[in-house]
Amino acid sequence: MSTAELEQAKTSAKLPPHPERATMEGRNKILGLWLFIGAETVMFACFFGTYLALKGSNLDGPTTQELYQIPMVAISTLILLVSSLTSVLGVLGMHQNNYKKMMLWFGVTVLLGFSFLGLEIYEFVEYVHAGHTFAGSAFGSAFYTLLGTHGAHVLFGVLWISGLLVQVWRRGMSLDMAPKFFSASLYWHFIDVIWVFIFTVVYLMGKV
Amino acid sequence: MATLVTIIVFILFLSAILTGGYNKELMDRFRSHWLWDWITTVDHKKIGIMYGIGGGFFFILGGIEALLIRTQLFYPNNDFIVGRAFNELLTMHGTTMIFFVAMPLLFALMNMIVPLQIGARDVAFPFLNAMGLWFFIAGGILMNLSWLFGNAPDAGWTNYVPIAANEYSAGTGIDYYVLGLQISGFGTLMSGINFLATIINMRTEGMSFLRMPLFTWTSFISSALILFGFPPLTAGLFLIMFERLFGANFFDVAAGGNPIIWEHLFWIFGHPEVYIVVLPAFGIMSEVISTFSKKRLFGYTSMVFATILIGFLGFMVWAHHMFTVGMGPVANSIFAIATMTIAVPTGIKVFNWLFTMWGGKIRFTTAMLYAVGFIPTFVMGGVTGVMLSTPPGDYQYHDSYFVVAHFHYVLIGGTVFGILAGFYYWWPKIFGYKLNEKLGKWNFWLFFIGFHLTFLIQHFIGLFGMPRRVFTYQPEDGLTLINQISTVGAYMMAVATILFVVNVIYSYRHRVPVGNDPWDGRTLEWSIPSPAPFYNFAQLPKVRALDAFWHEKMKGNKEMEPAEPLGPIHMPSNNHLPIVIVLGFFISGLGFVFRSNEVGALGLIFAFLMMFVRSFEKDHGYHVETDEVEKVEKGVKA
Amino acid sequence: MEQAKPQQESQATESDAKHLASFAVMIVLTAIAFAAVTMDIVPPAMVVPLIIGLAAIQVMMQFFTFMHLDFKKHRITVTFIFTGLLFGVICVVALKYLV
Repeated sequence: MSTAELEQAKTSAKLPPHPERATMEGRNKILGLWLFIGAETVMFACFFGTYLALKGSNLDGPTTQELYQIPMVAISTLILLVSSLTSVLGVLGMHQNNYKKMMLWFGVTVLLGFSFLGLEIYEFVEYVHAGHTFAGSAFGSAFYTLLGTHGAHVLFGVLWISGLLVQVWRRGMSLDMAPKFFSASLYWHFIDVIWVFIFTVVYLMGKV
Repeated sequence: MATLVTIIVFILFLSAILTGGYNKELMDRFRSHWLWDWITTVDHKKIGIMYGIGGGFFFILGGIEALLIRTQLFYPNNDFIVGRAFNELLTMHGTTMIFFVAMPLLFALMNMIVPLQIGARDVAFPFLNAMGLWFFIAGGILMNLSWLFGNAPDAGWTNYVPIAANEYSAGTGIDYYVLGLQISGFGTLMSGINFLATIINMRTEGMSFLRMPLFTWTSFISSALILFGFPPLTAGLFLIMFERLFGANFFDVAAGGNPIIWEHLFWIFGHPEVYIVVLPAFGIMSEVISTFSKKRLFGYTSMVFATILIGFLGFMVWAHHMFTVGMGPVANSIFAIATMTIAVPTGIKVFNWLFTMWGGKIRFTTAMLYAVGFIPTFVMGGVTGVMLSTPPGDYQYHDSYFVVAHFHYVLIGGTVFGILAGFYYWWPKIFGYKLNEKLGKWNFWLFFIGFHLTFLIQHFIGLFGMPRRVFTYQPEDGLTLINQISTVGAYMMAVATILFVVNVIYSYRHRVPVGNDPWDGRTLEWSIPSPAPFYNFAQLPKVRALDAFWHEKMKGNKEMEPAEPLGPIHMPSNNHLPIVIVLGFFISGLGFVFRSNEVGALGLIFAFLMMFVRSFEKDHGYHVETDEVEKVEKGVKA
Repeated sequence: MEQAKPQQESQATESDAKHLASFAVMIVLTAIAFAAVTMDIVPPAMVVPLIIGLAAIQVMMQFFTFMHLDFKKHRITVTFIFTGLLFGVICVVALKYLV
């Protein structure tokens, strides 16, 4: 950061229109997160491929057609999709220098994220009772690994955004916080993208 | 339970001490010590040196493992090291050399030189850079702890299932491999992202992509390969970890699994991996050959294009390691043809190096000797690669010493010669004095002749039918003399390596400071003092052409024209969190290796907590004022 | 760096509506996908290609609207993301058909 940019951040005056891109650190962080998304795309693709290869190996357990509960999946999908919208509304609030709007919408995103996780845990408990377990069959292992990895990413995301909300609540908005919120929202959209593939490839294709 | 309590008490005790609760003076002495400065540094130059030390240390380990292998194979029916112990040696030799030697030594050079070549003051993420280093150290130490605790991984560096699964490899051995590689893999991925962001965002004014030096270009493409090539390994390692530790069933046929999944995931990583280690070496060759031929690189644009093509095609060919698995003739043919096409851009590069030398004023410094020695050696490895790319041929060569000969030719001829050339070339830039040329030449010739003695005849051992990864052979096989010659060559390489270490020590003892530009170089790193000041450039330079520094020299300027006025320079501060975060992952890895889920989970929780601490940190670095910059610049010129 | 205030605000309100519209389209795409599978409106052979196509469209909308990716301004990022998607598809196809 140049001296001029540092001074501006300290005075926390009106930030420029796209505050996340106003500093070299900010531009680096955004690019870094996009690159990370590229890497995670390939990683999740490997878990998807493994799932597709093994989803027929249910052994004594239920098949995909018998097992998946579409209404619950529809609700989960709605929750995550809405949370993606609320996170972008949060970014828009940041661009509009409306920090109350930003904190509100990111807060809603966190709540929706926790609801998604709660629903997903409930769903998994149901599946275990139906005989679909992690160690019971190759299908089970592949299913829970793919969905579990996604869930772990959701958990990391809600904790991350919560931490950022605490920071901005205590210190106020600045040129430092802007790229952090923008990157977190990119990350959040990405896990929604993964969910789009999950509900399509795992649940919907499982019912066909 | 007891373990848990012990660990918690230990952590509380440590935190009490380290937060200065007991003895403030002692803590201050620690904090101003040079070792603490190095442990908490985020400076790319220091991190590069530490990568070099780490890689050098593991090179000695991997080399000893190789010597023990070759010693066992000196006589038929030898009983020096047999059975499981031999399998552990060959597994650790391969894994160590690729993950803890080749990659770290290349990262050493990339860290030290790439920011200088693009006119930057550090990498995009200095904190992440330090973390990447410690992840590598942690993974290397974790895996090599297996030697001490009696159960090293022994399923080959490829770790195929089902032999690597619990049924045939009970105990901790394979778990060291899985957790050690996973941890060091995180570090590699971080470094890949770091270099990509640095090269994309932080080039100095006037340095467009097509004015970047070839070493930077190849580091860029190699980092892209890391970005996309390591996640499949991450995925595969998670799968095998879940199977071994938590009872999952990915690869167990009886539970509906399929072992070929591991092979695909490993090789989708594994083939880009070998391009990751060879492309930066190609870049070093381009720099060294053009500098010591006093001629610009022939066909710069086609070199860039060829590098991109090699990187891209490198993702399309992995199943040529799996021809004999039974994917069928259609799949085999597709991968065979894709593999053969990679020879084309590689060939373009070889011809361009030769055309660079043609008509040039050649100086045979040690670096240039390695570069010129690389050309025929790597080409030999390349052509045996094309032989291996034909499935019918591969059905004969697969798992024989022919393959071993091929990959050592490309790995040593390419990567190792590249690393050595790079160290001889850039040593003065990093340390301020040259390595001794006479010792260097002895080092080169012993290494070069020893290498060919070891591996040239291994082609023939393979063609005569000796399989790889076997700990002995019979007297009537007729392989004895060839194996003995190969072992003698290995010992020659060992002597050459000792000579390199002697050179390092001797050159330090008899060091003569060199100026900015001891080789009459062409690229930006030679325009600043040797060693570089901690902020690299007092004023970021303005680049007008390819071979930026040479261009200025040809116009009669001694220095680069600055792109900015002299002003305060913003530098990142030291930070102790990278090593602390990695410590958490290391403890977690140890926990999982010893099948203690509590310790494993606790380590992870600690690591993530430290990441949150990092997120809340307020230190935005410090400023170096103009007068201090002027003082440093004057001091260097004195 | 600073833009004229009225221009900035109208640009801002524009983006709000733009994102809500994107969201609505994504909901519709998702609904069609669920409907295609749970109801008998599409011939069975077409269901899988259809839902994969719908997913691909929704993902592109996420990248280029919600995540503020710009084809012209962020060429390098777009290249890396599409390369990642390509390699991802290759991995999935290989693991599904070559195992």
